[in-house]
Parts: sequence; C-alpha cells; structure tokens
Amino acid sequence: MRDDKRLVYVCEGGDCSEKGSIELHAELDGMLKERDTACKNRLRKYPCFGGCEHGINLVLFPDRVFYSNVKAEDLPEIVNHLVGEGPEVKRLEGKVAPDVEQITWDLLDTGF
Amino acid sequence: MAIDLEAKIPNNVDLANDPKLRRALEHWQPKYLEWWMETGPSDFKSDQIYLRTAVGVGKGGWANFGHVKMPDYRWGIFLAEPEPDRKIHFGDPLGKPAWNVVPGELRNRLRRLIVTQGDTEPASVEQQRLLGHTAPSLIDLRNLFQVNVEEGRHLWAMVYLLHKYFGADGRDEAEDLLRRRSGDPDNPRILQAFNKPIDEWLSFFCFTSFTDRDGKYQLAALAESGFDPLARSTQFMLTEEAHHMSVGENGIGRVVQRTAELMQEGTDPRKVGAIPLDVIQKYVNDWSSSSFDLFGGEDSSNAAEAFACGIKGRYREGDGIYKDPQALAQIYTTEIEEGGKLTTVEIPLRRAMNALLLDAYHSDGLRIVDRWNRVLARYGVDQKITLPNKRFNRQMGIHAGKTYDPQGNPMSRDQWESRKASWFPTDEDRAYVRSCMIKVHERGKFANWIAPPATGINEQPVDFEYVMFH
Repeated sequence: MRDDKRLVYVCEGGDCSEKGSIELHAELDGMLKERDTACKNRLRKYPCFGGCEHGINLVLFPDRVFYSNVKAEDLPEIVNHLVGEGPEVKRLEGKVAPDVEQITWDLLDTGF
Repeated sequence: MAIDLEAKIPNNVDLANDPKLRRALEHWQPKYLEWWMETGPSDFKSDQIYLRTAVGVGKGGWANFGHVKMPDYRWGIFLAEPEPDRKIHFGDPLGKPAWNVVPGELRNRLRRLIVTQGDTEPASVEQQRLLGHTAPSLIDLRNLFQVNVEEGRHLWAMVYLLHKYFGADGRDEAEDLLRRRSGDPDNPRILQAFNKPIDEWLSFFCFTSFTDRDGKYQLAALAESGFDPLARSTQFMLTEEAHHMSVGENGIGRVVQRTAELMQEGTDPRKVGAIPLDVIQKYVNDWSSSSFDLFGGEDSSNAAEAFACGIKGRYREGDGIYKDPQALAQIYTTEIEEGGKLTTVEIPLRRAMNALLLDAYHSDGLRIVDRWNRVLARYGVDQKITLPNKRFNRQMGIHAGKTYDPQGNPMSRDQWESRKASWFPTDEDRAYVRSCMIKVHERGKFANWIAPPATGINEQPVDFEYVMFH
C-alpha cells in the first residue's frame, strides 16, 4: 500500500554493479538498519536508471533526488540526510542529463 | 543461511542437511552437464573464460571473477536472504504470512509458472550456441559466455524449487527442462520467441536488450510472490540478470556508436562492413515487438488469478507505490482499433496485470532507446532509433489480428503488408548483417561494426585476455 516512506533506490544495472553497487547497497542497508530507527526509508535496488556513465547512481523518491558517482565514503552523509540529520548531498546531484532524470521520474511514477 | 561453496552443488539452502533433496539434485547434475556439453556453447569447452561466479547473496561481495573452463563452472543454488516475518503484500491474502510451503490449491498454477520461467533459461543457451564463432572481440565472447553460464544457473534455481516443493511431479518437470530443445519441431521450448535461432550478434544484442528484459520483468513480478522461496530465488536471479541487460543495451549502443562514427566522417557504413541505422531500426522493431507478446494478453483472467491468489505481483509491488494492494476497484484504460479508429477500452485492473507489466517494460525500453539516441546526438547524427508502440505487430492479446504502424496508428492489412519490408529485416538485410559477422579473437581488437566498450569487466582493461584459448 502506498505510504509516506521515502524510497531509496540503488542502481544495480550492469555498469553500476561493475562499480560495486551491490556491495554499496549492502553497506547502506546495514547503516540504515542502525540509524533509521523511525523507519522513514525503504531501501531498494533498481535495474537501471540509464545514467550509466555517472554510476553508481542512487535515487530518492518521491523527493526526486538523483545522486551520481556515489562511493562508499559518501554514505555517512547520505544516511545523515535520510534520517533527517543533514542536508541533501548537493555535490552528488546534477551530473546526469535532465532528460535522464525526467525518464527516471516517469519510470518511478505509477498511475495506480 | 550459511553458504556452502565446497559442496558438490554450491548452495545457501542447507543441502547438506537435506540428504533426500541433495541426492535428487546430485542425480540431476550429471544430466545437466550432459545437456550443457551437447547444447551449450559449441566448442570453447577447454578454453579459460574470465567469468563471474555467484558465491553469496549478502554484504561483502556476491561474486568472484576468474578464468574458468565453462564445463567446470560452479553452478550453484542461491536464494536472497530471507526477510523475517515477511507478509504477503498484495492480492486476496494481503497481510497473511508468506508461504514457505506450496499451498495445495496453488500447486498447479505455481508449478506452471516455475516451469515456464525455467524453460526460457536453457532455451536461450541453445539459441546462442554457435555465436562464439563470430564474436566481434574477446570481451564480447566473454560476455556471451557469462550470459550463457548464468542462464544455466537460473535453470538450477528453478530446478531446485521443482525438486524441493513439487515432489515427483517436480522431478519429472526438471527432467523435461533438459529434454525440450529450442527450435525442435517435435519437442520445442514452451515460448515461441525461444525457438528461433540467434545466429548473429545484432540479434543477440537485441535479444538481451528486449527478450531478456521481458524475463527481467517476469522475474521482478515473481520476486513479489507470496511463495517465499520463489520470491527469494528470483530476487537473486535479478542481480545476475542486470548484467545481461547491460550486455544488450551497451551492445546495441556500441553498434550505434560505430555507425555514427562512420556517418560523422562521411563513410557509408555499408561500404565498410558496419550496420546502417535503418537496419538497426528494423531489428529493434522485430525483437521488441515480438517481446511485447511475451507478456501475454492485456485482458487476462489467468493474470488476474495469479495476482488475486498472491503468487505474482505487480512490478515493484513491494516498494509500496500502488494505491490499492488488492487492485479491486480500479480500471485500466487503453486504446484499441475499432472500425479503423482508436477507441478507449476499460479493463478491470486485476485483469490488466499483464498490460501493467508491459507498460513498465515499454517505459524501460524508451529509456534505453533514448540512451542510444544520445550517442547519435553526440556524433551529430540527426536520425533517431525509435521503440515501436505497444500495439505494433502483436500476435497475442487484444491487438492480435489488427494492424498498426510502428507509431500505433491503425491501418489496413493491405497498407501494412505493403510497408512491412520497411519495418522488418528483409532476407537481404539479414544476409548483409550475417556478412558483417567476422570473428575477431585478438586481444583489444574489435570487428568494424562495433565500437569498443567504454570500460572492461571487473576493472580489467578493455584489452585484457578475457578468453585464454587452449
């Protein structure tokens, strides 16, 4: 059922997984289990967002935040934001083309 | 669950403590290897291939890379980690605990789903068995074999479920999965798209872009299943499947890039053994539209029942993105040709589950085509690749027997027939594409119809020795 949780998608497409997105997802999962005590976020994998040349990509929805070139060392800052203890990590945003971002929001929206 | 990598069959399903199941699977294993030797990649059996092998499902890496002879590949059984107290999150059993055994009344339906999914895995290996002989580079040869061995592992995943949960019937089905053959008129694979040979690489890249992508969406819908072992099996398969998608998506992207490079320098691709954009477009039309049919009918009581009873959900159902997890009161609207015009039809949402899944797939297809078009734009080429409308060239569902152009506009049968050759590969197109397929097995070299990839595999350089020939 639709709820007010934020969806946190880690891309597991070919390029992103080559760059370690599966491991990054696992690390983020561990950090959120520890820090997200209010369960505000739902962590998921996503097959591909198409921003492959800028992977690893991580997307927040419905916030419409598109992080690129995410590395393990960025996770503490990202988690701070996810648990409401820090701002968006602006330096990771705006790297993919606007149409790639738009396609992503179209893919994530459902009319049902 | 602990991972046992030393066992005869690597697994994280505690086979060591289930001797009956272990014996049954160990009995099936030599038959599987026999099938692989007979119908798997032709030749290359004693060559060392740089392959990824699944070794786990959780934190700290899930796969190893190394040079392996394909027959020695460690095909294992891996399920995603269980979610404690998982509840069914859609359909009539909403909120009930997920099943760890097969509910009796769902036995036949679940078995059919697993067998149909399982049948596609060996089928694709059989379809692609001769491709290695015309590989455009070592990295592509390696990617082909990676896809092949992982499709083999996906067969293992489905066979595990059949053996573990479906008794003698399941064991019989597992045997039949090795008996059917792609393209065999007397004993074909279940789905038609898996019975046509893939004898050149443009088709292989289209297959992994479009047909395998259908598999991804089917797996994703099954990953929502209330039958927990099926959900966990397919979740892990999706992790591997992501690479197959990228082989296709990047593969076509590289073909498009090579053609665009030539166009930019004023060279006719046909003069130098590369593939013109209009031919690529025809292949995209053919493979994408035949893959639309794999989703089944838009208005389907079977799909409604699979959703209602909690065994097959909507795409990303578990993300909590849908308003009504039971899909009871809503209506899905779509358009269909009636009397030469498009008319709106309404389908109760539960009956439209295949259409919903196809919608998600089609949006994903638009994304990858957009990516290829960005490559064209980068080289100053105005022409674009387009993805056909979902109504185009349908043999199944509400549009079967109707005729639409690639944009989805209705047209007469005569008009359609007269324009068919401009939409689909002709015999001449296919012969030309086949003529481009020249084997390149030297390190760092590529056939002239495809650009090198941007990066290598597992941080290795593009000119790495991905295949060591015996």
